[in-house]
Amino acid sequence: MTAKVKEEPIGDKPVSSSLRITDDDLYRHSTQYRNWSFTPERLDQIRTEVNASAGSKAEKTLKQFLESHPELSREEEEAVASKAVPVTTHEELLLVNYFARMIISFAGKMNLPTEVAATAVAFFRRFFLSNSVMDIPPKEVFHTTLFFACKTENYFIGVESFAKKAKTTTDAILKHEFKLLESLNFTLMNHHPYKALHGFFLDIQNVLSGRVDMKYMGQVYTNCKKSISDALLTDAVYFYTPPQITLAILLMEDEALMMRYMQLKFGLQPDNGDGSGQSSQDSEQVSSNGINASKLLEVIKSCRSVINNKIIPAKDDAVKITAKIHYCQNPMAVIDRLKRQRESSSIASTPQPVETDSKRQKT
Amino acid sequence: MASSSQFKQLEKLGNGTYATVYKGLNKTTGVYVALKEVKLDSEEGTPSTAVREISLMKELKHENIVRLYDVIHTENKLTLVFEFMDNDLKKYMDSRIVGNTPYGFEMSLVKYFEWQLLQGVAFCHENRILHRDLKPQNLLINNKGQLKLGDFGLARAFGIPVNTFSSEVVTLWYRAPDVLMGSRTYSTSIDIWSCGCILAEMITGRPLFPGTNDEEQLKLIFETMGTPSERTWPGISNLPKYNAQHPQHLPKDLGALLQSQTREKMDLALIDLLYGLLQLNPDRRLSAKQALNHPWFAEYYQ
Repeated sequence: MTAKVKEEPIGDKPVSSSLRITDDDLYRHSTQYRNWSFTPERLDQIRTEVNASAGSKAEKTLKQFLESHPELSREEEEAVASKAVPVTTHEELLLVNYFARMIISFAGKMNLPTEVAATAVAFFRRFFLSNSVMDIPPKEVFHTTLFFACKTENYFIGVESFAKKAKTTTDAILKHEFKLLESLNFTLMNHHPYKALHGFFLDIQNVLSGRVDMKYMGQVYTNCKKSISDALLTDAVYFYTPPQITLAILLMEDEALMMRYMQLKFGLQPDNGDGSGQSSQDSEQVSSNGINASKLLEVIKSCRSVINNKIIPAKDDAVKITAKIHYCQNPMAVIDRLKRQRESSSIASTPQPVETDSKRQKT
Repeated sequence: MASSSQFKQLEKLGNGTYATVYKGLNKTTGVYVALKEVKLDSEEGTPSTAVREISLMKELKHENIVRLYDVIHTENKLTLVFEFMDNDLKKYMDSRIVGNTPYGFEMSLVKYFEWQLLQGVAFCHENRILHRDLKPQNLLINNKGQLKLGDFGLARAFGIPVNTFSSEVVTLWYRAPDVLMGSRTYSTSIDIWSCGCILAEMITGRPLFPGTNDEEQLKLIFETMGTPSERTWPGISNLPKYNAQHPQHLPKDLGALLQSQTREKMDLALIDLLYGLLQLNPDRRLSAKQALNHPWFAEYYQ
């Protein structure tokens, strides 16, 4: 046996740390586990802190603005106070998710491999665990993460041709590259559930050999691959390992198939007829491969509910949040807007300025 | 986060595959480091070789793999701050040449170095990473007798098709016969062959197969290990650069050959291990884990 460096993560352990599937020790060495796995509480805390620190900076700027503009009328001051406010943690999350989702469709349009898109999404979301959308607009690192993911996944594409395809400039792509590298704490290796899916797919066919239709299994595989890309946009990636996420997705795709597989593979007790698939007496039962089947099922089900809890922000939300950030950073824009409103309502009572203004803030 | 002002740049240590390496002093802690400077190509941003090395080194925390402490960014360069090691195995072997005669190491040191080399390689392989460029220059040592794998500039995660490098850049001496014959499907066994070549070199002080081009390299290998055939190595004739007209050599007695170049007695277990590492057929080569469990290392694992 080799002497392995047994390192426990410095921060918190993910919720499912006691569970072992395969190559678990190996995964425990990875930076993905050591640096980028959190408990839900810790993740909340990180997001709250990032938001609070950027928020207080923004408030300081606003205070200075008001102090240096004593000429403002009461109405104008009130408008600034109500319009120019920092975004909340939840709004940050919505905006990051909105762009993260766009990375996947954008990568698809650019014909980039699935793994590259998945890595870009991981990088993008992690970037905003140490940076606020109030400090760096998501659209400024959108292309950066995708291009950088190409480099880390050994998918060679020159920055020049990438910029052309993405309809942006090379400077814009490279501007925040080091900031990204730094925010990722130089940990660039990613393990996505796609490999686990392939493994389970082969194993299911083996374990349930002759009892599953191959054509049907092909369909399951394709659907699951799509669902994984969706799951990568949820916080499941911070709480669960790639094989756990894969099993949860397989469970969502075909529960009956998965229950049969788990019965044969991990010795899960058959359904009691209550539909839960869990038997109460065998909670400590451990199968021959060292896996506690009912505990595994429990973990997979909780993973499933995190995946089901996905947030799909509407474009409208993203536009509104971006406008909010803009006003917060440029309180003068609130005053200008007010002035324009005033002028137009004194000339005619057409309501158009409000609309055009929010449209100007398009992402 | 470290800044460049924290380090005093000292003498140049050498050129890596894509960068220049200097000795450095951490002014706050007084600890020596190796500073690997990568010129930033404004065209492409961070070079992908640097990205790859950073990515792999961050995953590989092991006592027999050189540690990456930090990465520093200044306007036109990226500096990778590595653990400092006093020497490398190549320089250390060169320092033992007396007159024109090379001398190998004491057998106990050979064993300790090879053990550490295989530990580092086993850890890479467990993490699904191939080093691909193991050679004495890339094995760093310190005066405590520790050995660590360095320079992951050419390392790769498994499963990615690899273009053969130009032969004048990378030394051929440690390259496996399957790779020399153009195999594209190689895996962990490629590093094991190198471990075998390095073991022999530590014993005698001379490179085992010092070829100057692909053809000569294969010729030297076959002269000692015997010319392989479809019978000893099924599938060999499908390799792109397989030459059926290759002169037929019978395998030599590797033990006797090496013994003639060293004064210390080589025991049978050592010779058996050498054969395990230097199997021509990659499928028959030992894995790093198997090699570590070989009886020659019994004193370490008992």
